[in-house]
Amino acid sequence: MGAPSQEELEKRKRIQINAETVGNAASNDLPYHWPGENHEWNLDYFEKTFNVHFHTSTPYDSSFSLTGIDTSVANAFRRILLSEIPTLAIEDVFIYQNTSVIQDEVLAHRLGLIPLKASRRGLNWMKWYSKPTEDSEGSGAPSDYNCAILHLKAKCEWQEGGLQRAARGETDPDKLYVNHSIYARDLKWQAVGKQVEMFADGPIEAVNPDILIVKMRPGQEISLMMHAMKGIGQDHAKYSPVATASYRLLPTIDITKPILGADAKKFARCFPKGVIGLEAVTAEEAKKDPELSGKEGEIKAVVKDPMRDTVSRECLRHPEFKDKVKLGRVRDHFIFRVESTGQWESDDLFLESVRLLKVKCQRVRRGLDEMMK
Amino acid sequence: MSYTNPTGTAINTTTTTGGTTGGAGAGAVGSTAEDRARFVEYTCGDCDASVSLKRGEPIRCRQCGHRVLYKQRTSRMVQFEAR
Repeated sequence: MGAPSQEELEKRKRIQINAETVGNAASNDLPYHWPGENHEWNLDYFEKTFNVHFHTSTPYDSSFSLTGIDTSVANAFRRILLSEIPTLAIEDVFIYQNTSVIQDEVLAHRLGLIPLKASRRGLNWMKWYSKPTEDSEGSGAPSDYNCAILHLKAKCEWQEGGLQRAARGETDPDKLYVNHSIYARDLKWQAVGKQVEMFADGPIEAVNPDILIVKMRPGQEISLMMHAMKGIGQDHAKYSPVATASYRLLPTIDITKPILGADAKKFARCFPKGVIGLEAVTAEEAKKDPELSGKEGEIKAVVKDPMRDTVSRECLRHPEFKDKVKLGRVRDHFIFRVESTGQWESDDLFLESVRLLKVKCQRVRRGLDEMMK
Repeated sequence: MSYTNPTGTAINTTTTTGGTTGGAGAGAVGSTAEDRARFVEYTCGDCDASVSLKRGEPIRCRQCGHRVLYKQRTSRMVQFEAR
């Protein structure tokens, strides 16, 4: 039994997307799956086939492809991105006065969900804080190394002459009141102890200063103190460093028989813009392919950019495209999209997830070594 | 370096006040001289002026004479988990 052909290898890692079913979805590049072939995991082989390619990279939103990697590992990266990279978030709220229309617990919850950013050096320096429970005493009283203090103090009042303007029918709050809208920029961080030094190159503040926390009217007042702790998404979604981190497999579109003329235009409309292109049949093609003979100059559907396809399967609903097109996905091509909430940069987040997976593997290895002693 | 709350209140005080008692004359069993001299701030239900009343005073706004007064929210600290 010889080595499988390139075509056979491509077919093996192609997930079939049929009108109502999905086929060949499970990984098969495993030992003992194909008779006579060795699919043991091999570092040299992995180095040769693995590839990272960035599509877009802005500080807080990046998209990249990982190819030649197993689903289990790609999914591990995604899960680590979502729930195991630490950020700061408000954990405790001490309310001294709140006469706004938002209830204390709702206000506390809203404050918790505000994404915070701070110096990465400071974040790395900060330790975990754990609350005392019945079973354990936790990490003791909050200190400068595991807790940041923020304040929010605001009172809404009438502007000079605002009451008279209101009586005359003015309704614009900007012309009537002061402090009628409280935004995330009004959160004030109070540096304690060593924090002054550790957060020197990046104070703790909200990523987006324009998040509206609460609206108030004259006479209403808010005065509260907050404790922000370092935590991970596993504990609460507010600690998650990503707005979303997801992947999808690269879609493929194989046109098996030429689609010509008006059909080609209709075919292009079955896909998002830019996926299918229309090209004229060349003389050379007309000579080579018997199905195209005499069709020189007619328009023909060609696949231009399958990455932009949403795999809606719309083309499979039309009988004229039956047996002319095959949809699929590449099992080992993961198109990641990582949107950061602002504490980390998106590409740093991916590197951090790789680092954390490595740390976890080393931990397992140490455990195994311990067992073998 | 250990951290103490700026106001001096212990951090794990989760006590909230229960239901507030009705008017100014309600409650207070063994009242002392100090107790009797204490003013309580209320808000007028009609003109929104702040009214401070002593024990036994008629429940009435000094500005407009309205007889409905609202008790103000406690200034005691309340702790919440931002979850």
